[in-house]
Amino acid sequence: MSRLASLPSLVGSGRAAFARHGFLAVVGLAIVGFAVANPSFLSLANLVNIVSGAVIPLIVGLAMTLVVALGAIDLSVGVALDFGSAFAIVALKDYGVPWYLAVAIGIAGGTLVGVVNALVVVRFRVSAFLGTLGVFFIGGSLQRIFTNGGGPISFRRLPTEYYDLAVGDLYGIPIRILIAAALVVGYFLLLERSALGRKIHAVGQQSRAARVAGLPVGAIVAFGFVCAGATAAVGGLIASANLRMFTPLAGNAYLMDAIAAVFIGASMHRDGRPNVPGTLTGVLFLAMVANGLNLMGLDFNLKDALSGVILVAALAFSVIQHRRRT
Amino acid sequence: MSALATPGGRALSAAVVSAVPLLVFLALLAYFGARAPGFLDPATLILILKQAIPTAVLGVGLSFVVIGGGDDVVAGGIDLSVPSIAVLSAAIIADQLAFHGTGTLAAVLLGFMAAVAAGLCNAVLVTRIGMTPLLATLASSTAFIGFSKLVTANRRIDLSDPLIVTLRDGTVAGLPLGLLAATALIVIAIAAVHRSRWGLRLQAVGGNRDAAVIAGLDARRFVAQSFLIAGVFGGLASLFVLARGSGSTPGVAETLLMETVLATFLGAAFSPRRVVTVWGAALGAILVSALSIGFGSVGVDVFWTGCVKGGLILVVVAAAAVARRSRT
Repeated sequence: MSRLASLPSLVGSGRAAFARHGFLAVVGLAIVGFAVANPSFLSLANLVNIVSGAVIPLIVGLAMTLVVALGAIDLSVGVALDFGSAFAIVALKDYGVPWYLAVAIGIAGGTLVGVVNALVVVRFRVSAFLGTLGVFFIGGSLQRIFTNGGGPISFRRLPTEYYDLAVGDLYGIPIRILIAAALVVGYFLLLERSALGRKIHAVGQQSRAARVAGLPVGAIVAFGFVCAGATAAVGGLIASANLRMFTPLAGNAYLMDAIAAVFIGASMHRDGRPNVPGTLTGVLFLAMVANGLNLMGLDFNLKDALSGVILVAALAFSVIQHRRRT
Repeated sequence: MSALATPGGRALSAAVVSAVPLLVFLALLAYFGARAPGFLDPATLILILKQAIPTAVLGVGLSFVVIGGGDDVVAGGIDLSVPSIAVLSAAIIADQLAFHGTGTLAAVLLGFMAAVAAGLCNAVLVTRIGMTPLLATLASSTAFIGFSKLVTANRRIDLSDPLIVTLRDGTVAGLPLGLLAATALIVIAIAAVHRSRWGLRLQAVGGNRDAAVIAGLDARRFVAQSFLIAGVFGGLASLFVLARGSGSTPGVAETLLMETVLATFLGAAFSPRRVVTVWGAALGAILVSALSIGFGSVGVDVFWTGCVKGGLILVVVAAAAVARRSRT
């Protein structure tokens, strides 16, 4: 009798658990599907391949998580990534600076983009979407002007230390994965375990209430944009080290996936907030889909169309999941 | 901000600030007129208008969504996928005409069906599934662009179909046919939004969703309709995109998106209440086109135009934000 009475609540909690972890079920299904389509999908080499390929999208995704947690959006993360890559490569090639200085200069390049965003959004009160869209176009145009139309700037004789950012390893672990792991931990501590993180979420959820409560909302938002720009630049450093060149406008390719990963991740959160573990899951899911579709040997253009459809479906699913809970 | 300023002075400064985008534009046009002798010729003006057509039609489609969803870009109505819908529809029409021997009418119908289906997809994502329009259309536009690449194998398709050529070169009473067709479309859209009961209700839904719902309007239906209409305008624009480019070219979606967003939100600067309007979007498209041609005719490097347009977006929206702040 008592067991019968508790049944509905059991069903209820089961449904709630599915709503929260439903996306993990989708991830599981995708893994099984790709493994059936091509058994080498699950080979260790391929899994390492997926993870190391996910490093740059993950870094951009972390930057986006911070900005979305503030209730804003940053369409210019790709520009920050490109600036990071361009500043570092030009510093190395034309000025022969040591590698660590090049890293600092690259990060300064991304920070510059963040500062412009912060100025536009905080000082001039432009909506984050339109403001960063403007910066996106200006940044793209500046890269075209600088490279005389978008040709890459390559530098084959990179210092080994810089090259190692992308291809080196430390005790057998690829350095790029270590960099990403450090950023994940840093962002997790910032957003989920620090006083500043609480304030960031407060601004994102109720900006006016946060202001009334005495938080320096403008300064917090500005910090978010600047920090996001600097972070995205780290992705640019790895990208430029990997190819030993700066490829203009390459950063924009990461924008959509970063936004998608953040929203997929938010749908898995108790309160639907952007969060670091969720973004990590989202990025890995998207990287897995891209890799799985590649292994299926599909036509390049078909792959593009399919990944677009999967993106829409994954986002729609995560929004439905989130709504079912609230 | 300015506690000491008199209310009258504040209103005046608001008026000045919100006129900044227009003043910047007029200054640029005057500069072109002075520097490039042929810039103010009728032939150049016709060219400016003709080049503005695709952006104008897309901007009109986008303005339906913005008017019905409210002009808060993140939470309100925005449809970033209109240009990619046009590119998808153009790809289908071009592919059918060039490689499948389909008749003109059937090919255009196929393209239109894809555009309407795309609009429907956006409407479902936003009103049924509950995604924010920004996220929904950003994601769906990647799918639409993916499909258009699939259709054309990411290659350029040249067209010499009579319909496309007529739309490009045909004239009626000395005026370009494409221009007349686009003007007719825009006039119909203005009548629908600004002169009809349906349009008034659409504006009510966008202006204050809660109040509109309390007054008995089915807000969701209006929002869904606005996305469908945007899809239809995307399909219509595809014909003009094909005519302007004499075929389908991959990779034009991003430029179209930039110009469409710029034209639509710039258009808000013309309206007395600084809100997005259909006619404002069309006018904005003409200004953007004048700017592109003007920069070309004074010999400015083409790579700079993105910089200038991005800068203009910032000036326009910053001026609007500053004006709003000083008004309240």
